[in-house]
Amino acid sequence: MTTRAEFFAKIRGELQKKPALFVASTAARPEHPVAQADTIRRELAERWPATLEKFRVEFERVAGVFHRVASLDDVAPAIESIAGERGARELVSWHAASIAGDGLSRALTARGLGVHAMPAGEAADAAERARLRAVTARADLGLTGVDLAVAETGTLVLVSGAGRPRSTSLLPPCHIALFDRAALVESLYQVGVFLEAWHGDGTPPGTGAVVNFITGPSRTADIELTLTRGVHGPKEVHAIFVDGGLRG
Amino acid sequence: MRDRARAIKEATLQRLDHHLERLVGNIERLGGHVHYAANSEEARRIVVDIARRADARMAVKSKSMATEEIDLNEALEREGITPVETDLGEYIIQLAHERPSHIIAPAIHKTKGQVAELFERELKRPVEADPEELTKIARAELRQKFLQADIGITGANFAVAETGTVVLVTNEGNGRMVTSLPRVHVAVMGAEKVVPSMTDLMVFLAILAKSATGQKLSVYTTLVRGPRRAGELEGPEEFHLVLLDSGRIAQLGGPLREALSCLRCGACLNVCPVYRQIGGHAYGHTYPGPIGILLTAMLEGTQSVKELAHASSLCGACADACPVRIDIPKMLIELRREVDDRKIAPWVERVTFKLLARVLTRPVLYRLAARVGRVLQRPFVRDGAIGRLPLFLGDWTRTRDLPPVAARTFQERWAAERERAR
Repeated sequence: MTTRAEFFAKIRGELQKKPALFVASTAARPEHPVAQADTIRRELAERWPATLEKFRVEFERVAGVFHRVASLDDVAPAIESIAGERGARELVSWHAASIAGDGLSRALTARGLGVHAMPAGEAADAAERARLRAVTARADLGLTGVDLAVAETGTLVLVSGAGRPRSTSLLPPCHIALFDRAALVESLYQVGVFLEAWHGDGTPPGTGAVVNFITGPSRTADIELTLTRGVHGPKEVHAIFVDGGLRG
Repeated sequence: MRDRARAIKEATLQRLDHHLERLVGNIERLGGHVHYAANSEEARRIVVDIARRADARMAVKSKSMATEEIDLNEALEREGITPVETDLGEYIIQLAHERPSHIIAPAIHKTKGQVAELFERELKRPVEADPEELTKIARAELRQKFLQADIGITGANFAVAETGTVVLVTNEGNGRMVTSLPRVHVAVMGAEKVVPSMTDLMVFLAILAKSATGQKLSVYTTLVRGPRRAGELEGPEEFHLVLLDSGRIAQLGGPLREALSCLRCGACLNVCPVYRQIGGHAYGHTYPGPIGILLTAMLEGTQSVKELAHASSLCGACADACPVRIDIPKMLIELRREVDDRKIAPWVERVTFKLLARVLTRPVLYRLAARVGRVLQRPFVRDGAIGRLPLFLGDWTRTRDLPPVAARTFQERWAAERERAR
């Protein structure tokens, strides 16, 4: 087997033969990503309505379903109507602290939905983990928060971590994502700034190993180039924007 | 944008050792393991060992040209581990026991009727030949496999050195399944695919999606940093990255260096007149199309493309379509020269083309040859083509027809027309 030392020695040897095809540099990284991320948030506090509108257009273009409600109290009725139209009964969700607090779960339960909130941390044992996976795989709806909503591409960025399982937005056939203006960004470049900040001195929204970019429902065109949805991931993605904010 | 992307790639290659060391350091710090494979054989052995140590019986795979390149599936099967391709197109061709014909749409050569037949054979029940219905069936079948599998095997579209992140881009979501549900995740990646930072990555995500499928961004981009973290409910307990050389590293200082910037988007396939005529399987190697010829030469040596090097009209459409501006035609010409210089082609072919060059540059000889050829070809012309030549010349016509010399050449007709017009 090749060792690390051999592998790198070979690379260095070859690089000496031909140091460059042309003078080139990598992308200019933000010097102070944490400060720059704050600046992006501050500037968007002014012009978020235009950014939200752009997000809506792009999100709908990738077959996402956009909803807008005035306050947190209006979220449960919106979810109830999504569930009603699809005959959905079972909902699995991120831990309440990672979305909008306990009130929402109670309101959804009161409206007759079976709500299965994921734990705030790891499962106690393998059996419990298997049970939670089975619950998620059976659920009709998966409810999550959103860490960044990207207007340029209609993308939802979700960071995994404690109370934010990866499978909530993946296994159920319908994904519902809640967000407010704190999540809005304009461009992929700005996403890069936030990622640099989270990986640097900033505080990431989740401490898990995975960051997912979700741009519309799962799709394939592998059979005769015919577009079909929901091959592995959700067939539907809903984004609910809460004007009054998720933290009340 | 294209120049910027290419500049980032070139700058990264210039310090590939530095960026790879950062990547490796970060992955190990996160609790992941990095392995080094000089060739396919080593890569197979590494992955099979990981699977065996994990007591794996079933492996789910998301679409990966790298694992296709190293013939991983056969190696797993020999060890009693069932590999399941989960990209819908790959799943279809796995059921058909075939190879992908396109980098992005591997089963593009199958009709829905053929797919339905394959599913019927697999499920032993009637299946409707409707893409929507077939997709639904594949979802149900493969969902079970995702939940049962012990190990998930992926390629990697990129890896970010600064953060130790492996990046997977899919439209179906199988990349997410494979990296979240099984207890072990192995990613196999060519060593040239590293990018320095998240800022660089953002540039590439946009151009990859646009060039591959015309989307602004693919549906799922999954950034994976090592195994499951404390506090996480799910995710693999083990994470492995296999860095693959297989001729790539030698090209850092070689004539095919530009091809190391390839993102595997497939744009050059879609615009190539040769690819569109002959399809991906005709290339006979893992990577089809114009870039595939260069990659095959890189991975398997110039000898392996002695004929493929000529499977291009040098029209330049590939270079125009390439999102990182790889000058494919220039390298193809260099490859042809190398094939000639190293006398890789059989001597008959070389002598014939030398003679042909003489004849084509001398009008008198050319006219004479046309007349002689017209007589000599008589016994061999069938249905307007020369299908078989005798003796050692038969090698040329074994896989192709030769057009016969016309009854009247253009020169003869031209002379006659001028005579008549006078």
